[in-house]
Amino acid sequence: MANKTVKVSKTTRRLVVHENIAAYLFMLPFLVFFVMFVLYPMFMCVYTSFFDANMGVADDVFIGFDNYKELFNDPIFWKGLWNTLIIVLVSVPVTCVFSLWVASAITKMPVAATSAFRCIFYLPVVTGSVAVTVVWKWMFSKFNGIINAMGTSMGLLDKNIDWLGDERFALACIILILLTTSVGQPIVLYVSALDNVDKSLVEAAEVDGATPKQAFWKIKWPQMMPTTLYILVITTINSFQCFALIQLLTSGGPNNSTMTIMYYIYYNAFKLYRYGYGNAMGVILALIIALLSAVQFKVGQEK
Amino acid sequence: MAKFKNLDAAQKRSRVYYIASFVIVVIVAILFAFPLYWIITGAFKSGADINSGKEIVWWPNAWVGDNFSKLMDKRSAPLFEFVIGSLTIAGPTVPAAIRWLVNSVFMSVASMLLTCLTAAMAGYALAKKRFYGRAVLFSLIVCAMALPKQVILIPLLREMNALGIFDTCWAVIFPVVGWPFGVFLLKQFAEGIPTEMVEACRIDGANEWRTFTDVMFPMIKPGVGACAIFTFINSWNDYFMQLVMLPSNKKMTIALGIATLQGESSTDYGLLMAGAALASVPIIIVFLVFQKYFTKGITMGAVKG
Amino acid sequence: MKKLIAMLLALVMVLGLCACTVTNNSTPATDAPVVDAPADDATEAPAAPAATTEITLWTYPIGGWGNQETVDALMADFEAATGIKVTVEYLDYTNGDDKVNTAIEGGSAPDLIMEGPERLVANWGAKGLMVDLSDLIDDTDVAEINPAALNACYGEGGAVYEYPLVMTAHCMAINKTVFEAADALQYLNEETHTWNSVEDFWKAVDAVYAYTGSQVGSVFCGGQGGDQGTRAIVNNLNGGTFTNAEHTEYTWDSAENVAALQALVDCEGIEFDAGIVGGDEIAYFYQGQLNMAFCWNIAQQLNPNTADTGAGLTVSGDEILFMAFPSDATPQLCGGIWGFGIFDNGDEAKIEAAKTFIKYMCDSEATADAVKAANYFAVRDTAEGADLSGIWADNEIMNEYNKLMPMLGDYYQVTTGWAEARTAWWNMLQAVGSGEDVATAVATWAATANGQ
Repeated sequence: MANKTVKVSKTTRRLVVHENIAAYLFMLPFLVFFVMFVLYPMFMCVYTSFFDANMGVADDVFIGFDNYKELFNDPIFWKGLWNTLIIVLVSVPVTCVFSLWVASAITKMPVAATSAFRCIFYLPVVTGSVAVTVVWKWMFSKFNGIINAMGTSMGLLDKNIDWLGDERFALACIILILLTTSVGQPIVLYVSALDNVDKSLVEAAEVDGATPKQAFWKIKWPQMMPTTLYILVITTINSFQCFALIQLLTSGGPNNSTMTIMYYIYYNAFKLYRYGYGNAMGVILALIIALLSAVQFKVGQEK
Repeated sequence: MAKFKNLDAAQKRSRVYYIASFVIVVIVAILFAFPLYWIITGAFKSGADINSGKEIVWWPNAWVGDNFSKLMDKRSAPLFEFVIGSLTIAGPTVPAAIRWLVNSVFMSVASMLLTCLTAAMAGYALAKKRFYGRAVLFSLIVCAMALPKQVILIPLLREMNALGIFDTCWAVIFPVVGWPFGVFLLKQFAEGIPTEMVEACRIDGANEWRTFTDVMFPMIKPGVGACAIFTFINSWNDYFMQLVMLPSNKKMTIALGIATLQGESSTDYGLLMAGAALASVPIIIVFLVFQKYFTKGITMGAVKG
Repeated sequence: MKKLIAMLLALVMVLGLCACTVTNNSTPATDAPVVDAPADDATEAPAAPAATTEITLWTYPIGGWGNQETVDALMADFEAATGIKVTVEYLDYTNGDDKVNTAIEGGSAPDLIMEGPERLVANWGAKGLMVDLSDLIDDTDVAEINPAALNACYGEGGAVYEYPLVMTAHCMAINKTVFEAADALQYLNEETHTWNSVEDFWKAVDAVYAYTGSQVGSVFCGGQGGDQGTRAIVNNLNGGTFTNAEHTEYTWDSAENVAALQALVDCEGIEFDAGIVGGDEIAYFYQGQLNMAFCWNIAQQLNPNTADTGAGLTVSGDEILFMAFPSDATPQLCGGIWGFGIFDNGDEAKIEAAKTFIKYMCDSEATADAVKAANYFAVRDTAEGADLSGIWADNEIMNEYNKLMPMLGDYYQVTTGWAEARTAWWNMLQAVGSGEDVATAVATWAATANGQ
């Protein structure tokens, strides 16, 4: 009897070991890349943030939390944080509302029209961030941009405006371009979510005398909740990562009015050669994003 | 019209709303398509048309190829280059822009293939295997997903230097493969496959690898397709990594090349539009041809993820 | 069918791997954990001794040195003469610095770099990244090379981080045709290319503004490109300086400079443009949207512009007149000194090859071609017995431009902390252009430049 138990547990253990080895072998190719190119740099990022690391200096000097202390007293850092938050807080809700509206408008149309519109709104995404940025730069150009040309010829503008070089407009322009490149995916998602709404429920509600508005909010909207949540998450990540726009259009200017944390990290690293300081900023940014994602996940799970 | 009169107030309202929203959608859609239109027409405009100042040239007065010939004359590079031992085989010299396209295609395809393979395997293991450290690993993966690459830019750069792959396409490809989105996506797909199927296959005597290739992989194929599309678009547009990792002309991608052109001749919009057209038209054609799969892939990714 | 596709894909990957493998044999070959056969060959390849004959040169667009055809010809001659193969990369002033900096951090810094002392000496040289070129400069060279130019190439401790090739004076330019129409030519002297007085400069701007009704000049500040132009106009207007004479401190917060900036802010015909940089300003000037350019030099004057209407003309055929900056004393023009520096990548053979290159380009019979390619003036009159004084003799524009050369001012771009200071400069202009109080903005940013 005792003998048998031992035998079973031995087999079990062998199976467990086998399962573990197999699992890790399957994970291995991915893990190699993940550990080498995501986890290790992340660790090094935290590590270097405690050093005064500069280009051309052989040995980095340990300075504890000095980089972080400096960060909290750096007005440009706060400005960058503020701008990053503005970009996220404006573009995320606008993207969601706009794409929901477009999706609900085009699903009512014939199938061909739906797919044509869906395709058009997705175009800026496939066009690629650099190509989109370059053409917008031309359109916003002070001297030969179409926006100034139309504005002045229609009498809306007295004289040409340097859209991207004017503190009042630059950030708004960036957000506008970001919006055109980020609604494509949400629209596709909402269209399919609206298609997948349980039709019988909607019909039943209509028979009971519900208005289209009620049918939408009471029946369709709750069913689309997972989609909305997913859209919120990806749009937030996208808005945080907006880099090409800033780098190619304004380099954070004028007067830091379009400086984002993302660009400020790059700026510190390759214009001021301050690697340690840039890393400290990266750590703070990662913490903020982790916090935000955690909140979104929590909210999502509760719903 | 008479028919319209017969409708009751609520129906009229909804009809009016329908038409109004159609008109607005059309207008917005035109605005969305406009930049692309402006790229393509701009690429064929003459210098005079482009710098016409107040008079807007909506349609090129004459379609000229000057911008493209300028783009092609600007720099040259070998079409491809092999290094085998001390032997270097270089392709014919072509305009650098063509080489950039080749690089872009190669990098996106390589990232796509590597990601799909590693992510399918890892996703399968995470979904169907019970092993030590699984929970920890999975939460690490979820955390890393939201992390912007800019955060780890400096350590990554130093690491690429240490590995000796700075200024090669691998410096751009490897971080893409390491990015855990694909794993997350395919894990969700694999979880949807009944465990019995996997077990049945095992009982039939298939080994681990056969189980994966013959049972798991075919069943998560739609997910792999979605993963492929995502990775392809992402790495085609992965401007940031390319900017940091690829300084030399021969290694540049088309996106990076256009950005560099913009630094050199930032107001020669004709030239820039020619570059932008070259960068975007191929991928737009791919998109239009595979449109159905794109939409499917995107939605599937969302539903499962 | 599927197998075929798989095979094709594998083939593409392997080919691509080769395509992406570093061609430079001395750099460690790509390690490729995923793909096989040919990659292994590449890794096992011993670093061939032949690699010493291959070096890399990165060049900023210095006249024709940014043009691949011109440079290819020069490199072909050089290879024929010495057997050293040079791979050239072209940088621009917008992204070039970032590119070099990433390359340094990525361990792929070029062997040779062509630029001016503000980068080679004050930046990378001061950071200890460059090779000391003192051994290339003997007494004859010291006697031959323009002393001011040579002086700017010395770093701390007497090390030479740049071997100068060409020089010029940066100036400004006006659209003569438009100025004539606006009756503004009376405020300047066409013969000497100077303004009668600072007051007349303002009058001229006002006259042109009144005539055209549109912006005359632009204080561009979108980035660092062409920033010597904005510094020169500010410094000259009131006789201010950018640094002290000893090059130890930045002095652009002086009362003179504040007053000059204020005058520029108040001038209706001149706007601060954070959306454009020097290169854009030149383009807009050529296109006739601006009638005055602050970022100008002989290379632009000789350039037959994008529409190819001819040297010294705008796209619409208007005549361009180059001018010294407005000043009540002698204008102090900012110099441009360009030459080569060598990055210390730890490979003696390559450093030697790079030195051979410098010797060939800057101090040999081939120097005339190298100078001509750049469209600037040679820093020396003779190189190894070859006479360089006459290379531009038959070029009228060059001779005319020579009138500006005596106005060359202090070469202050080698002051410590230059890279940070110039960044602070255009950020300051953006702040001023956004309506910030001039004195405050100047004080803040000058403090940043001085490292406080």
